[in-house]
Amino acid sequence: MATPVIMPRQGQSVESCIITKWHKKKGDKVSQGDILFSYETDKASFDEEAPVSGEMLDVYFEEGDDVECLLNVCVIGEPGEDTSAFAPKKEGQGEEQPAEQPAQQAAEAPTAQPVAVKSEPADGFIKISPRAKGLASRQGIDYKYAEPTGPNGRIIERDIRALAESGVKFTSAAAGEYEKNPGVSGTGIGGRVSLSDFASAPAASAAPVQPAAEYTDEKVPNIRKVIAKTMHASLSDMAQLTLNTSFDATAIMNFRALVKENRESLGLENITLNDIVLYAVSRTLPEFRALNANWLGDTIRYFNVVNLGVAVDTPRGLLVPTVYAADRLSLNELSKQSKAVISDAQSGTINPDLLKGASFTVTNLGSLGVTSFTPVINPPQTGILGVCGIETKVKVVNGELKAYKAMNLSLTFDHRALDGAPAAKFLQKLAKNLENFTLMLAK
Amino acid sequence: MPKSQFMDPDVLRKPGKIKFKDIDCNQYKKTIEQEKANFSNEDFVRIYHDMAVIREFETMLYSIKTKGEYNGIEYNNPGPAHLSMGQEASAVGQAYLLGVDDYIFGSHRSHGEILAKGMSAINKLDDKTLYDIMANFMDGRILKIVEKDQKSTKELAIDFLVYGALAEIFARETGFHKGLGGSMHAFFLPFGIYPNNAIVGGSATIAAGAALFKKVNKKNGICISNIGDGSVGRGPVWEAFNFAAMDQYTQLWEESYKGGLPVIFNFFNNCYGMGGQTCGETMAYGILARIGAGINPDMMHSERVDGFDPLAVIDCMRRKIDIIKNNKGPVIMDTLTYRYTGHSPSDSGSYRTPEEVKAWENYDVLKTYSAKLVDAKIADRAQFDAINEDVKALITKTCKMAADLEISPRMDLVAVPDEIEKLMFSNQKVEKMADGPCDVLMPMEENPRVQAIARKERFGIDKNGKPVSKNKVFQFRDALFEAIIDKFYKDPTLISYGEDVRDWGGAYAVYRGLTEALPYHRMFNAPISESAIVGSAVGYAMAGGRVIVELMYCDFLGCAGDEVFNQLAKWQSMSAGLLKMPVVLRVSVGSKYGAQHSQDWSSLVAHIPGLKAVFPATPYDAKGLMNAALMGTDPVVFFESQRLYDIGEQFHEGGVPKDYYEVEIGEPDIKRQGTDVTILTIGATLYKALKAADILKEKYNISAEVIDARSIVPFNYDKVIESVKKTGKIVLASDAVERNSILKDMAENISELAFDYLDAPPVVVGSRNWITPAHELEKFFFPQEDWIIDAIHERIMPIPGYVATNNFTDNEKLRRAKLGV
Repeated sequence: MATPVIMPRQGQSVESCIITKWHKKKGDKVSQGDILFSYETDKASFDEEAPVSGEMLDVYFEEGDDVECLLNVCVIGEPGEDTSAFAPKKEGQGEEQPAEQPAQQAAEAPTAQPVAVKSEPADGFIKISPRAKGLASRQGIDYKYAEPTGPNGRIIERDIRALAESGVKFTSAAAGEYEKNPGVSGTGIGGRVSLSDFASAPAASAAPVQPAAEYTDEKVPNIRKVIAKTMHASLSDMAQLTLNTSFDATAIMNFRALVKENRESLGLENITLNDIVLYAVSRTLPEFRALNANWLGDTIRYFNVVNLGVAVDTPRGLLVPTVYAADRLSLNELSKQSKAVISDAQSGTINPDLLKGASFTVTNLGSLGVTSFTPVINPPQTGILGVCGIETKVKVVNGELKAYKAMNLSLTFDHRALDGAPAAKFLQKLAKNLENFTLMLAK
Repeated sequence: MPKSQFMDPDVLRKPGKIKFKDIDCNQYKKTIEQEKANFSNEDFVRIYHDMAVIREFETMLYSIKTKGEYNGIEYNNPGPAHLSMGQEASAVGQAYLLGVDDYIFGSHRSHGEILAKGMSAINKLDDKTLYDIMANFMDGRILKIVEKDQKSTKELAIDFLVYGALAEIFARETGFHKGLGGSMHAFFLPFGIYPNNAIVGGSATIAAGAALFKKVNKKNGICISNIGDGSVGRGPVWEAFNFAAMDQYTQLWEESYKGGLPVIFNFFNNCYGMGGQTCGETMAYGILARIGAGINPDMMHSERVDGFDPLAVIDCMRRKIDIIKNNKGPVIMDTLTYRYTGHSPSDSGSYRTPEEVKAWENYDVLKTYSAKLVDAKIADRAQFDAINEDVKALITKTCKMAADLEISPRMDLVAVPDEIEKLMFSNQKVEKMADGPCDVLMPMEENPRVQAIARKERFGIDKNGKPVSKNKVFQFRDALFEAIIDKFYKDPTLISYGEDVRDWGGAYAVYRGLTEALPYHRMFNAPISESAIVGSAVGYAMAGGRVIVELMYCDFLGCAGDEVFNQLAKWQSMSAGLLKMPVVLRVSVGSKYGAQHSQDWSSLVAHIPGLKAVFPATPYDAKGLMNAALMGTDPVVFFESQRLYDIGEQFHEGGVPKDYYEVEIGEPDIKRQGTDVTILTIGATLYKALKAADILKEKYNISAEVIDARSIVPFNYDKVIESVKKTGKIVLASDAVERNSILKDMAENISELAFDYLDAPPVVVGSRNWITPAHELEKFFFPQEDWIIDAIHERIMPIPGYVATNNFTDNEKLRRAKLGV
């Protein structure tokens, strides 16, 4: 039996991928694990490995083709096997892929396995018995995640019970959130997932994460529009300017040393200075909503959470994966998540959904010895913080010069969205928070 | 066939000839002068008066139907009106000698008979009795409407009669039975007027049954089935002839009950069955009176009489009543008559010529009879003119009142929405339909069957959990017997008949032992005449008795289709509750006997409003439901599965009680508690469901709750809904073929009533939509335990590890439906 290889769906929002290179061609022998082809989305590129050994019987697309996800790309099997059944349908006569196919794919590439909505039938509505539906509703369970075992793919009572036992329950408030961030385990009554669980959720790095809908759209006031126009006009397309500051890094360095000492016994992450800065940013930003925002022209989108973009230098160039709802993560969790997304970005396995949706970005050139720079805003965000290296500075303490470790911060902000004073106040507050980091943690 | 009758080959094989006597046709030749001995002048004139009332009544209706107006009264009557202008002499002649104890049963064309019989009764009743009847009827409601300034009680009573009949025809609540019968079903019991019937010939078996009641219960009077010449074409009419004339009445019944049934099958022979010309076209008899010759040696005392001469009809009736009083009935009368108008006002008369109608009109009785009386100087012309004026005034006055919605409202189903609903069943508990000693042949405790049953184990499972052997266990058939014999010793009116019930004890031995207990007149073998069996039971109950009859196989229900579906079911409600119908119809559902002897037709019965239907599956329920059925006043179709007659009681703790108890009709019973899936069964399928439940429990750890419907109509859903709320899943199963099974109706109701609790649609497992094959193939036809599990697996809740062997998939369902199989 020949085995088709499909174009994987790398994230819920990805509809198609471009084949960038064929490593095998029709007629080639392939062994399980061989790279068949490389492909990329608009955000990341991937290699597809052979799921089985055999001969490459058929190849349906060429390099450069934009292939709809889940379509068969090639077929591997025994020489001479009939592959006609696998030829993908031309556009317009598309046939739904059997449900097993993506599941199979997921099994082969566990890092990319979506936490699937289990019962999404081709005809567009979920089959569920009234009893199962009632039970799900009473128990605050989102039945979409139930594995249907009834006739014709119907979710029946036992499926809801199974789902409940597997721990995925929601408070009604959290149901919508779970849809965006599945995989969260509940800590509420009876194991229910509540909104607070999302705040502390270590979202799986490869999960098809949707940006949190935590924002409010407000009309840009006329004065703001005038300022924006002026600023924009003065600075051509962008109204960016950068403020620099420096703070006493003693507190955070002491804290980091403390973590390092106790890491193993407390089971903590390797919390870096960058993580500490990220944490401080995530806790400081909410007070400065114009910086935790997207400039959308006629509207400004103010976020109620801090979706922190983390600029990462990768072999493919700069990528900015997002740590969602960073303000709701503990320092330890933030550290863990930021490392995970950085690592995925560097290895190229980053879920494309994680490459967008940030409300503010932090970029760190400190390790490269940079002491001050002008980071460029990632539109439509309104600000980006550059983190620089540690320097030794002196200050007067009780009439004496005293050396201390200092860190420079460079904030670039969009003057269309806010003015200089609030940006400076943010930087000042951030610096103060970092200098009194342990106090901030106590909050 | 009793052993006392010897089928002697030497006698039976002897050569010989059947000799027929002459059948008289129109032999009446008396003059008025000769009849003066029988009639006073007043009598002669009253006969004219009664005929004139009928003529004007029908003329009024004809005018209303065709012109929407009569004598200045505008009215539209959309209901039927089969008129009898021309037939007045037949009706009045017949009624003349009859008293209120004599019952007439009519046809769709019986307005004239009602009025004639009513006026005859009025003439015979004394004023006080008459007034009491009117005052007591419907709490005097009709009396209040008609009571004005009449000169006499009899005049008042005629107003009462004409109004009550017309209001009934106009479907008014002030009609004789609240307008629920109407033109074709009107009646008035206090005057001996029993229901007319819209089914051609429908009254034949019913009148025979009422006559049976009179004979068995030694009541005065005779019964008359007034049906038309067209009805001779109907089988049930012939069944009724034979049923009324069976040899056993003279050869086997006890001395004081000897003789055929006191019934006259009178044919108002107006020469047409609707448009079919009976004589010369659709019938073979030539002269209708001939048919009596084929029924019995007495040739049913058949005679043709000239129905255009009231005195000839009276003369004939006098002789026929005598025959019946001498226990020589039954009788056939061919009362020759003619209707001037069509079958109904919509009849264009395309089947006869105006000349023919004219020729009969030349002998019109109102003209010829009055002329004879004038000639004989009994009365003068002016007297008849005055009568005509009075009659017209009477009909005009009555029509005005009956047409007036203020005086004569229709049922207000807005104000009283359950007015018809509450008449569908009488729901009474009456231990006996009459007081008096019960005619039995021995004390019950001496009955051999009763003694044999006393030695049986009343619970079917012994101490070790093993079934008690068939020979020792109190069986389903014993349970029925116990209930039935008990009633025979309590209700003196109770009788039973059916095919092979006596001597044989019924094909399934339910009645074994009753032969010893009961005289012939309380239990006898019926001819193989399902229509007559059921139709006569209807008549027996109408006349005031209680009866239990049986159809040997459910498949024979079709043979008694009209009697079950139109008569048994409807008379309580069509009579607005004036009639009770304490009839238990035992119906044995076959197995092993192929396509025409193994069908469960309970769904057909359930479809017909007015019938109660039960289908017990255990001895306890059989006895309890039979007791309840025999205690009630409603018709109960009592289904019994032939698979279960020898089964013992497995559920009721302590076994089947010896004492009297009832199982309430309409209450299902949980035979096994469970939590995961509900199985609702009707009839013998209960045991398949229990097997399925065993397998589900043992192999798949699924706990099934098994509910036995026990009753089909009425049906209390409470327990079922409660169960479905618990399990969320239900399979319904019975031996009825799946298409249009009553289970579909139940499934639909459950879907509506428990929708939010359902985990899957209710699934009906019925027999295939095939003929019932031979016994060896029945497992492919009747639901088996694995079908039930398959249905759960395929349609409700796939069972891990289970492999279905029958096809319950959507595609299969669609395929079968498409093919109609």
